[in-house]
Amino acid sequence: MIIIFNCTVQEGAIPHDLRPRLAAGLARISAQILGGSPDDVSVTFTEIPYGFGFRGGALSTTSTVRGRIPPGCDQPTRVRLMQAILELWQEHTGCGDDELVVSARDRQPDADPLSPPVID
Amino acid sequence: MPNYRCTIPQGSVNFERRQQIARAFTDIHCGSTGAPRSFVHVSFWETEPGAKTAFATPYYVDGANRAGRPQAVKEQLLSDLTAAFASIAGVHPGQVSGRITENPASWTMEGGFVLPEPGQEGPEWYAAAEAAAAAD
Repeated sequence: MIIIFNCTVQEGAIPHDLRPRLAAGLARISAQILGGSPDDVSVTFTEIPYGFGFRGGALSTTSTVRGRIPPGCDQPTRVRLMQAILELWQEHTGCGDDELVVSARDRQPDADPLSPPVID
Repeated sequence: MPNYRCTIPQGSVNFERRQQIARAFTDIHCGSTGAPRSFVHVSFWETEPGAKTAFATPYYVDGANRAGRPQAVKEQLLSDLTAAFASIAGVHPGQVSGRITENPASWTMEGGFVLPEPGQEGPEWYAAAEAAAAAD
C-alpha cells in the first residue's frame, strides 16, 4: 500500500525544521488509520514563494495537504484521517482551522502521461 | 477548494497583476458558484525559459473544484477565468488555456469542516465558514 501526501506551504509559513516532524506525523497517522507501514507513506513539501499564493484575493498563509490513498476508503475513515491531519498540523504549527486544507483522494490509475497532473 | 493553479513563464506576470488575477478569479468563482471568498485559492507557478511543459499554451489555468456542477456552468467559469487572466496579464487570449477538474466534496476538509456538495451548503455552513475565516 502506497500513500502519498503532497504538502504545499506558503514561503515563511512553515519553518523548515518542522517539516520532518510533520512528515513523520503524517506517516504515523496514516498507518494507524489506514493500516500498512509508515515506511509506505511518501511525503513531499512544495513551497509557494511569497507573493505567488493568494486566498480570497489576498496573500495566503494557508497550507494544503493533498493525500492520495488506496481506493475504497469509507467516508468515516476518510474523515478521521483528515481530522487527525488537521490536529497534527495545528499541534506543530499553531495554525488555525482555516489555515489548512486537507484532502484524501482515492488514488487513481496511472494518468495519461501527456496530461498535466491533476491537482485538488 | 477551489484551487486555481496558474502556470506562467518566469518573470512574465508581476505581483500587482498576480494579485489582480487572484481577485478577479475570486470574484468570478464566487459570482458563479456562491462559494465563500475565503475558499478561493489561487497560486502562480513559473516555468523557466525553454522548459517543456505538458500544456498547450505558455499560460495555463488548472482549476480543481468540487464535483457536481452542470457542464455549462463549468465551461462558462473556465471561459471567464481564462479571459480575465489574458486581459489582466496583457497576453493574447490564444496564449491562455486551462481546465477544471473535479473531486467529490467529501474528500476535502477546509476550515475544520468536510466540504458540502455544491448546492448543499446551507446557512449554517456559510456561517461556520465565515467564522473560521474571521478567526485566523
